[in-house]
Amino acid sequence: MNIIVQLKREIYALFLSPIVYVMLIAATVINSGVFLAILDFLSNPQSGHVAVMQLMFGGTTFFYILLIVVSPLITMRLIAEEKHLGTLETLLTAPINEAQVVIAKYLAAVVFYIVLWLPTLAYPLILSRFSEIELGPVLAGYLGTVGMGMMFLAVNLFFSAVAKNQIVAALLSFGANMVLFIIGIFASISMAAAPDSLLNYMNLWAHMEDFGRGIVDTRYLVYYASIILFVLFCTVQALQARRWRG
Amino acid sequence: MIKVEHLTKQYAATTALWDISFQVTRNEILGFLGPNGAGKSTTLKILTGYLAPTSGTAVVDGHDVFVNPKAVKKVIGYLPENVPLYTELRVDEYLGYRSALKEVPRNRRHKAIDSAIERCQLGDVRQRVIGQLSKGYRQRVGLADALLGDPKILILDEPTIGLDPNQIRQVRELIRELGRERTVILSSHILPEVEAVCSRVIIIHQGRLVSRGRPEDLRADLQGGGVTITVEVIDPGGAAQGAIEQVDGVTHVDSPDDSPDGYRTLVIKADPDPAVRERIFDAAVERGFKLTGLSSRGASLEDIFVQITTSEGDEPPAADGDAEGGAA
Repeated sequence: MNIIVQLKREIYALFLSPIVYVMLIAATVINSGVFLAILDFLSNPQSGHVAVMQLMFGGTTFFYILLIVVSPLITMRLIAEEKHLGTLETLLTAPINEAQVVIAKYLAAVVFYIVLWLPTLAYPLILSRFSEIELGPVLAGYLGTVGMGMMFLAVNLFFSAVAKNQIVAALLSFGANMVLFIIGIFASISMAAAPDSLLNYMNLWAHMEDFGRGIVDTRYLVYYASIILFVLFCTVQALQARRWRG
Repeated sequence: MIKVEHLTKQYAATTALWDISFQVTRNEILGFLGPNGAGKSTTLKILTGYLAPTSGTAVVDGHDVFVNPKAVKKVIGYLPENVPLYTELRVDEYLGYRSALKEVPRNRRHKAIDSAIERCQLGDVRQRVIGQLSKGYRQRVGLADALLGDPKILILDEPTIGLDPNQIRQVRELIRELGRERTVILSSHILPEVEAVCSRVIIIHQGRLVSRGRPEDLRADLQGGGVTITVEVIDPGGAAQGAIEQVDGVTHVDSPDDSPDGYRTLVIKADPDPAVRERIFDAAVERGFKLTGLSSRGASLEDIFVQITTSEGDEPPAADGDAEGGAA
């Protein structure tokens, strides 16, 4: 039950910090801009036939920029700040262990990330008034967005645990996200990559294209889940290592 | 209640603690005394499960700190050094969160928070944001947090640092009161504090336990050598020093200041026998100099502290290899 108490506290703390509202507004503005641009593009009779929401999910680079930049901003302070202020000591001398703290902080980040995407639910709602909307691809798109976001958040939380301060955590996270993203791009570029090569499984761009078309490939979800579990485990270890290093 | 055996904590290059063993019994107030960087905080952090020792064991309320940290954390109320707090929360929000985290049952939480707020006199700031509070108030918020859930053991790392004299008195009073039905360990580098509050003292220096005992006993040990008597005399003839030197029981007389008009202060080392003071007075009457002041003082904990920590420091800490002590 300590996880729940801590989760509540983390969510509360997230929504008390001003940067969060900047992020919310920025994300909404960017997403709205993208949405309008897509509408504009599709209104052009020369454009091919593509579903609007499919373009929304990963059809533009803005989607990835948002993902790669926003996730470090959410996670950077979660552990690094507690270390900096010394509150990690008060926290970990209460009846709660490192794993519970990490899970609570991670879930808080995920909740906030989902809140960040909530305003975009307006787009399919708006579209559905003017044309038929296929529910499947929209749901799959959101599933992919959340899954991929959860992967980034886990990786970035790890850097918050090992970095000296928030800024370093954010920079390292940003770098790691770029690597995760670019690995997949290599697959698209290199002609040598076989369709089911390892690189292809890690191609986030291709993942989102599939999700946007309504294809839910469980291998993608397994990829996210394995990274999440591995990195969260490392984060717990990093926090426990502090007991030996002091 | 607390049993620590052969605790050693080594960092890469330094030894913060070396083979520390001690016990604390129920409802005792133990003072942990030592200069800054002696290893006090490290010991307390190990007891609260925040740090792991390199070797040795610590058992708190029947639970090994490393085997069953959660059980230990539940019986300890801990006030860390520098009192880290979530500055964006209000006092009552913070205590509410902490009491939930400490698994105070929901129906008793309100009472627990109210009583902690009352005990630490936080009533008039309970709605205020912690970040805007003064150091003294923050210290008391930390103390209130430690009291939540009515823990059997309180571990307070430098509980009065940064407080003004009035607040220090209040906090000491509070600690004494809490110590009646609880086991308290407090660390301090302020000697009168430990002397005023604690029933037993452990002196730690460069990571080693150098002395322990009741404050009175530590003092008596050192007093084998006697007491210090300070007298002020009007002595234009200059006979006083010689006269007092001949008094039975006086071992040494020092005259630190020597003003020409005959006002002098003499510092006398003597046996701890109260009759010596009478004999000094008699000597004054007999030899015709006037006593304007006479005070006697036993060795304070401060003397013991200075004696122990400086004599230790003089010896090279070679006996145990790399034991350099005093980690950050």
